[in-house]
Amino acid sequence: MTVEALVALIPALPLAGFLFAVLVGPRIDRMPAHGHDAHAGGHADDHGGHSGHGGETHGAHGPVDESAFRPIPSEEEQRATSPHAGHADDLANSNGADGVIPDDLNDGRGQVGHVVEGGARPVYRSWWVPTALVALAWLFSMVVFANVIFGAHTYHVSLYEWIGSGSFHIQIAFLVDGLTAMLLLVVSTVGLLVHVYSIGYMDGDRGLWRFFAYLNLFMFSMLLLILGDNFLMLYVGWEAVGLCSYALIGFWYKKPSAAGAAKKAFIVNRVGDFGFGLGIMMIWTLLGTLDFGQVFASIGSLSPTAVTVIALLLFAGAVGKSAQFPLHVWLPDAMEGPTPVSALIHAATMVNAGVYMVARVNPIFAHSPTAMWVVASIGVFTAIFAAAIALTQNDIKKVLAYSTVSQLAYMFFALGIGAWVAAIFHLVSHGFFKGLLFMGSGSVIHGASGEQDMRYLGGLRERMRWTYLTMVVGSLALAGIPLFAGFFSKDEILGEAFGRGYYLFWAVGLAVAFMTAFYTFRMVYLTFHGRWRGPRDAWQHVHESTPSMVAPLIILAVPTILIGLLLGLPPESGLIHGWLADVFRGAEEAGAGILPGSIAATGNAGFSLFGIGGLLLLAGAALGTAGIWLAYRWYVRDPDAPARFVAAIPFGLGPGMYAASVNKYYVDDLYGLVWARGGVLLGNALWWFDAKVIDGAVNGAGWVAQRFGGLLRRSQTGHVQNYGLGMAAGLVVVLLAYLVFRA
Amino acid sequence: MGLQAYLIVSALLFGIGMFGFLARRNAILMLISIELMLNAVNLSLVAFNAYHYFGANNTGAIFALLVMAVAAAEATVGLALVIAIIRTRQTPEVDEYSDLKE
Amino acid sequence: MVTLRNIIHSAIAMMVCFGSLAGMYALLGAPIVAAAQVLIYLGAISVLILFAIMLTQAGDANLPSPFHRQVWLAALAALVVVGLIGWAVTRTDWGNATVVIAVSVNALARALFTDYALPFEILSLLLLAAIVGAIYLARRPEDDEKAN
Repeated sequence: MTVEALVALIPALPLAGFLFAVLVGPRIDRMPAHGHDAHAGGHADDHGGHSGHGGETHGAHGPVDESAFRPIPSEEEQRATSPHAGHADDLANSNGADGVIPDDLNDGRGQVGHVVEGGARPVYRSWWVPTALVALAWLFSMVVFANVIFGAHTYHVSLYEWIGSGSFHIQIAFLVDGLTAMLLLVVSTVGLLVHVYSIGYMDGDRGLWRFFAYLNLFMFSMLLLILGDNFLMLYVGWEAVGLCSYALIGFWYKKPSAAGAAKKAFIVNRVGDFGFGLGIMMIWTLLGTLDFGQVFASIGSLSPTAVTVIALLLFAGAVGKSAQFPLHVWLPDAMEGPTPVSALIHAATMVNAGVYMVARVNPIFAHSPTAMWVVASIGVFTAIFAAAIALTQNDIKKVLAYSTVSQLAYMFFALGIGAWVAAIFHLVSHGFFKGLLFMGSGSVIHGASGEQDMRYLGGLRERMRWTYLTMVVGSLALAGIPLFAGFFSKDEILGEAFGRGYYLFWAVGLAVAFMTAFYTFRMVYLTFHGRWRGPRDAWQHVHESTPSMVAPLIILAVPTILIGLLLGLPPESGLIHGWLADVFRGAEEAGAGILPGSIAATGNAGFSLFGIGGLLLLAGAALGTAGIWLAYRWYVRDPDAPARFVAAIPFGLGPGMYAASVNKYYVDDLYGLVWARGGVLLGNALWWFDAKVIDGAVNGAGWVAQRFGGLLRRSQTGHVQNYGLGMAAGLVVVLLAYLVFRA
Repeated sequence: MGLQAYLIVSALLFGIGMFGFLARRNAILMLISIELMLNAVNLSLVAFNAYHYFGANNTGAIFALLVMAVAAAEATVGLALVIAIIRTRQTPEVDEYSDLKE
Repeated sequence: MVTLRNIIHSAIAMMVCFGSLAGMYALLGAPIVAAAQVLIYLGAISVLILFAIMLTQAGDANLPSPFHRQVWLAALAALVVVGLIGWAVTRTDWGNATVVIAVSVNALARALFTDYALPFEILSLLLLAAIVGAIYLARRPEDDEKAN
C-alpha cells in the first residue's frame, strides 16, 4: 500500500468509527436486568485493590483533618456539582434521563461506576471498534510521519474534485509536509491515548456510544483540518471541530452549566470563525484560488494593506479557536466537559488548530509586519493575563485551562515574532505534557470521588502514586525545568524574542514563566501534598485509577521527558528545525519579525551556550525553579503565607487584586453585560419597534379605514334631498371645470 | 340682447326650481319644483329656436313639445308614487322617509 | 312659489307661472308651443297636482318651518349654478340674435311627422307606460286580491 493511500485512509478511519458508533453502538450497549448480571464480580479487578481498601482502618492513611470534613452531598447537590451527574439517555433505557442517578448505580457520592454490592453492572462495549480504528489511524500516521520526516518527502494526495462551479474549483486533496507531519504526530498519539483513557474514565456512563462517536468525529475533523491542502478544507475541518467541541463539552447535556458552556464555546468560536471566513473570502476574491500553494505563490502581488487585512482576519479565527484574548472566555467554561475531552480538545488538538493555521499561512503573515506585530502583542498580553488568573483558581481543571490559554499565547507570541519553528516545537511538547496533565487531573478527580476543588483535596500522593509521579513530570515540563520538554521549547521562544529585539515582550515572557511555574506547582502541592481536606468517608474510597487510565499517563510521560532532548538540541538548530525548514523557508529568508537593531539583525543569529543564548537559558531555568520554590514555601511549609502576602501588598490593593484574579478580571461579567444584556435590550427595542411601529402602522391603516368608512356612512342619509344636494354640488363642479378650462 | 335676456330668465327659473327641490320638505312641492325646472329648459329651447341660433329649422319648438309630453308623463307617475307613499306613511314630510338610510 | 308655506298657494303660484311662460312662448313667435303649454301644464298637470294635494291632505300639515335643514346649502348651490350659467351666457357672443322669427305651424307639423316621427312614436309608448304605471300604483291593495 502506498503512502498516498495511507494518507487518504487516515481521516477515513475515524469517520468509519463515528458511523459505527452511531449506527451500531446503541444496540450493543445495554443495561442488564437487575440481578442477572454476569459481570458483577468483574468490577473488582477494574478498580484494582478496591475491595482491599475496605478492610483497612482510618488510622493507616495518615493524618486526616476531621474538622474539614463536609457532609455527604444531598441529591440536589449531586445533580448540581458532580461531574458524573446528568447522564444522557440512550436508545435502550430511559432511566436516569432526568439527571438523577438511579439507585442501582448510585453510591451516594454522585459517582457512577462504584457500584454497591448486588447492584447491576452495565455492559457497554461500543468503545472497542472506534478505539481500534483510531489505533489503526495512529499506526498509519506514524508510517506517514516517518516517511515525511526521515524520507524528506512531501505528499500531495488528490482524491477528487469536490466543487466545480464556474471558475470555483475545490479538490479534496491532502498535503503532508513537515508541519502537517508534526501535527499528525501530536493529534494521532494524544487522540489514541485519550480514547484508551476514556474507556476507563467513561466506564458506566449511559452515553458511552455517543461519547466515542463524537470523539471519532472529532478526530476525523481535526485530521481533515491538518491534512487539507486548500483553505476550504481547512475551514470545513475548522468548523467541524467546533461542532464536535460543542457536542463534547455539552456531553452531559442535562446539566445546565454544561449546556451553557457548550453554547458559549460555540458562539465565541463563531465570532472568530466569522473573521476567518471573511479572510478566506477575501483571498478568493483577490487571488481567485484557495489552494495553499497557489495562494502563497501569488500573495506578493497584493497591496500591503490587503495582505494585512487578510492576515488579521485569518488571525481572528485563530483568536477564537485558540482562546486568546478577547475570545478566551470559552475555554475555562469548557472544563464542564468530561476530562478526556479537555485533554484532547482543549489541550492537545483543537486549540492548536489556530497555531497550525497561522503557521501554515506564514507566507501571508511574512508579508505583513503589522499583522505579525498584532499576533505577537495579543500573544504576550494573553499569556500574562491568563497566568494572572490561574494564580488564584481553586478548581484543578480551571488552573490547567488558563495554563493552556497562557501557553497557546506563548505560541502565538513566537509566531508573531517570526520564531516559527519554536512555536511549532512548543506546540508539540505542550500537546504532550498538557494532555498528560489533564488526564492526570481526570485521574485525580476520579480517584477523589468527583472532587475538583483543590481546597478539598490534599495528601493524594500516598494513594495515587502513578498519577502523582506522572503529574509531577508534566508539571516540571510545564514549568520549564531543564531537560524536560517545556524547557527547550519555551526557552527557545524567549531566546528568539530577545534575539530579534523584542525586549519588553521578552521580559513579560520571563514573568509569565515564573508565574507558570508557581501556579503549576501550587496545584501539585495542594492536590498531592499535605493532608486530605475532603469528606472523611470519601478518603476511604480514594484509590489509584484503573490501568486503562494510568497507562496513557505513563506513556505520555515518556515524550514529555524526551521530546525536548530529541528535537530541540542544540537550540535553534535541532532536528525539528531541519524538518520544518521547507515550510518556513520563505518567511525565514525574508527575516520576518526581526526588529532592526536587534542581535538577529546583525547576522549573529547563532546560538552560543556561553554567550547571550546561554544566559537566557539560565534565566529561564532560574525563574522556573524560583517559582517552584515559592510554591513549596507557600503551600507546603507555611500555608498562611499567601494570606499574609496579600495583606501586605501596599495601598491595600491586595484583596482587590485577589478578587479580580479569582473573578477572571471580570471579562465574563463585562461580556454578559454588553452582549447578553445588550442583546436583550436590543431585542426589546426591536420588539418595541415591531409591535408599536410596524404593527401600529398596519393596525392604524385598519383604524383609518374604519373611521373613514364611518365618515362616509353618514352620507347615506336616506333623504333624497341630500342626494339631490350632492348632485347639485357635482353640477357646480362640472360647470366650474368646463367654464374655467374652456372659457 | 334678446336671446341673452331669455336665457338669463331661463337660468333664474332653473335656479329657483333647484332651490325648491333641495330645500322644501313637502313631497308634492318637490314635484312642483321639478316641473318648474323643466319649464325653464323649455323656455331656453324655444328662445334658441326663435333666434334661429342653431340653424333655420324648428328643432327647438319640436323639442320643447316633446319635453312637455315627457314632463306630463313624469308628473303622472311621480304623483301616483307620491300619493302612494304619503298614504302609507301618513305624512308628506320627506324628512320622515328613512327607508333608504343605511 | 317655492317659499310659500301653504301648498295650495304654491300650486296657484305655479299655475300663474305656467301662464306667464305661455305668454313668453307667444312672444317668441311660437304660439303652437304656447298653446301646448296652456293645454298640458295649466290644463292637466296643474289639475293633477291639485288633485294630489286634495287626495293626500298634504296641505294640512303644520310645520315649524317648511324648509329642510340644508336650505342654506341649497340656496348657495342654486345661486352658484345660476351665477355660473349667467356668467357664461353674458360672456358669449351671440352674434346677430336680435330678431324673433316666428315658427311656421305648417313646417313644424310636417317636421314632427316626418323627421321626428320616431321620437313621436316613442313618446306615445312612454305615455302608455306612464298610464299603466299610474294605474298600478294608485290601486288599493284589495284590488290585487280580487284580481287573483
